[in-house]
Amino acid sequence: MVNAIEVEKLRKEFKSYSSRSGLMGAFRDLFTRNYKTIRAVNDISFTVKQGEMVGYIGENGAGKSTTIKMLTGILTPTSGKVLVNGMNPHKERETFVQTIGVVFGQRSQLWWDIAVQESFRLLKKVYRVSDQDYKEHMGHVIETLDIGPLLDKPVRKLSLGQRMRCELAAALIHNPPLLFLDEPTIGLDVLVKLKIREFLKEINQKYNTTILLTTHDISDIEALCERVIMLDEGKIIYDGSLQHLKENWGEGKQIQFTFSKEVTDGELGALTSDLQVEWRKGEQANSWVAHVAPASISDVINRVVTRYEIQDINIHEIATEEIIRNIYEEGAVHG
Amino acid sequence: MFYVSVFFQYMGQYMKTKLQYRADLFVEFISDLMFQAVNLIFILVIFGHTSLLHGWTRDEMIFIYGFFLVPFALFGAFFNIWDFNERYIVRGELDRVLTRPVHSLFQIVLERMELESLLGGVTGIIIMMYAGSRLHLELHWYDLFVFILFVVGGMLVYAGVFISLATVSFWSDARSSIMPMMYNISNYGRYPIDIYNRVIRYVLTWVLPFAFVGVYPSAYFLGKKEWYIYSFLTPVVGIVFFVLAVFLWNAGVKRYRGAGN
Amino acid sequence: MDKYMEMIRIRFLMMLAYRTNYYTGILIYCINIGAYYFLWSAIYSGKSSIQGMSIEQMTTYVAVSWMARAFYFNNIDREIAMEIKEGKVATELIRPYSYLGMKTMQGLGEGIFRLLFLSLPGVVVTALLFPLHFSMNITTWMYFILSITLSFIINSELNLLAGVVTFFTLNNEGLLRAKRFIIDLFSGLILPISFYPDWAQQAMKYFPFQGISYIPSMIFTESFQGQAIINGLMFQLIWSVILLIPIQVLWKLAKKQLVIQGG
Repeated sequence: MVNAIEVEKLRKEFKSYSSRSGLMGAFRDLFTRNYKTIRAVNDISFTVKQGEMVGYIGENGAGKSTTIKMLTGILTPTSGKVLVNGMNPHKERETFVQTIGVVFGQRSQLWWDIAVQESFRLLKKVYRVSDQDYKEHMGHVIETLDIGPLLDKPVRKLSLGQRMRCELAAALIHNPPLLFLDEPTIGLDVLVKLKIREFLKEINQKYNTTILLTTHDISDIEALCERVIMLDEGKIIYDGSLQHLKENWGEGKQIQFTFSKEVTDGELGALTSDLQVEWRKGEQANSWVAHVAPASISDVINRVVTRYEIQDINIHEIATEEIIRNIYEEGAVHG
Repeated sequence: MFYVSVFFQYMGQYMKTKLQYRADLFVEFISDLMFQAVNLIFILVIFGHTSLLHGWTRDEMIFIYGFFLVPFALFGAFFNIWDFNERYIVRGELDRVLTRPVHSLFQIVLERMELESLLGGVTGIIIMMYAGSRLHLELHWYDLFVFILFVVGGMLVYAGVFISLATVSFWSDARSSIMPMMYNISNYGRYPIDIYNRVIRYVLTWVLPFAFVGVYPSAYFLGKKEWYIYSFLTPVVGIVFFVLAVFLWNAGVKRYRGAGN
Repeated sequence: MDKYMEMIRIRFLMMLAYRTNYYTGILIYCINIGAYYFLWSAIYSGKSSIQGMSIEQMTTYVAVSWMARAFYFNNIDREIAMEIKEGKVATELIRPYSYLGMKTMQGLGEGIFRLLFLSLPGVVVTALLFPLHFSMNITTWMYFILSITLSFIINSELNLLAGVVTFFTLNNEGLLRAKRFIIDLFSGLILPISFYPDWAQQAMKYFPFQGISYIPSMIFTESFQGQAIINGLMFQLIWSVILLIPIQVLWKLAKKQLVIQGG
């Protein structure tokens, strides 16, 4: 199987009603309602190859979760074609879910009151994993995630980081070829995040596991994914490598100047009017940030330094976060 | 076979959880007993003021009540998913259920299992034996099997109605306060059906067929021949309503919208 | 006071938003009253009166009890228990209002909603189907309104009490269920208190439960006359004051414990 996920013109519509305001309005709502249709996912198409790690990003309400839920068979699409692991998720749900693992960062897969290993045992049964496979595979998972000491504790007594690692292990009990992670690192501290990323990389290499990941934390994506799919208002606005995105959008540098005297936007603009540069007020007093194209870097520095007295100067790469924010502000990806 | 082994696996986990909270278990037993007492007291008080209820005696009424408790206990142990909407739809727990390779309804039944309700069945059998001995009922060897058949039928009636009600949440976002009210209605199936007018009789027989959990099957053991046809319809009605409910469920899951996030 | 009014209004709007509940609610109410009507007809079967109540009075008693229940009934005990369990009470405590007062107001909003939109239409429909006896006497209605207001207060106080008690117990579900059955049985909702054997009636004089349903329903059906009405109302009034004491005491203790344990 070459493609783990094939999606074509996938659409999901929700019908919702708006409430009229006030008591009288609510009373009128009893009899008639204003319905409207919201298109949460609007005719998207993409494919993911076996073994790829893909970041699926977008703002809140962009349709990320809705897509994931259609890919995992939780929601039925309004129209379009979904083929995951060669199956139609919601049609053959019970056979299909045997081939995927799902982690919802904000929702526990484990049973609250019982010890972690009991949950594992139950899931082992549910996924019909043989004793031998379990021992071999899970032994490794438990060791890598370092959750051995947690196994006999009830889930409610675990910290968020501990729980998340157990969740991840639980999703992998049947060693699925495809793993969906919805906000897996939300609210975790840096060390746990690093551990989880390491682990994901490892299983991707070891088993050629395909991973589709949604997250708010761009550093997750930078660490793991070569490819990103970016969603806005239910449509895909970018699908390609992270590197490409950086090259086209993250070209140039950010130069931060801290001046010893007050300087105005107009003065700076006039000074560099013939160069490719954008000025923005910095966070500290008298500091300005220039977003400069590569060709103009030396010119900008040269002119500013000769004209003004400078206290400090810093040059940065443009952060991926910044790139993505820019893209959303413009609403599309050019080039 | 797979489903049976999953069932026992869940049951094992259930026991372990429950044994952690032994005090809870005790309180639940007591409150169950109180619930059963309320209805018994009603019957006793009523018969303090009359000797016959439309030709049925006090002991017959008590017998019906005792019978009713058995399918009701089974229902309570396995199909009591009154908080389905709150738990699975509003909080989005159904997402998790749907990512597992076992039928969703079966998983929810297993997760919401409350085996301590079975004690109510024991109470029911004791009440039946008490009333039965006062009525000098004659029993045959096959009556045990008839009893089991009727009990399962009654349980399926209950399960069918309450599962169907739970599926309403797939279509409407209403927080269902219908469920508690339905428990009240289900009580009326325990009284002689011919005291009601045609509409209610029809409702209790064919629409919300709670009469098949109380008066109809009990009529067989009480030797009320005019109701035998209905008595033996119990398992049929049970299966029909249960199958219908599962169909509704499957259709509903397709319409599941997921919890807002 | 404004913020409490707003809470009532919000609850009202919330209830209106669920319209399926609304329609089925009325239907189920009718079925309930209908079934009780026939059950009581069978129990009376020719007798003109039992314990001084005629069949019309009895059916009216049942219809009114359920209507009143829609008004006084609320789930604030469960809500409090849940918020305690999930640790939300701590955040509620920092808000600038009395937590228990706010809960009561929510209950009131819900109650008024159900009274106007569920019970009243329900009673109108059942009155068309079954012979119910409504008093034409304006003073009876005045007494009744006073009485169900007190019912609401007593029932809410019992709910607050049960809710706060869950703070000290491990099991909420069993406790709350037990409370509900006691109220169903001893409030006079299922059976008028006068139907119980004498010793039980005597014992119930020492509990607040009949103030919830029995007294307003007896006033409405005019089964209580003259001094009996005044006695009933006094009974309700006294209990609604007495119950404040344990609530305040337990709530103070609970808050103290909350501060120490951090919820």
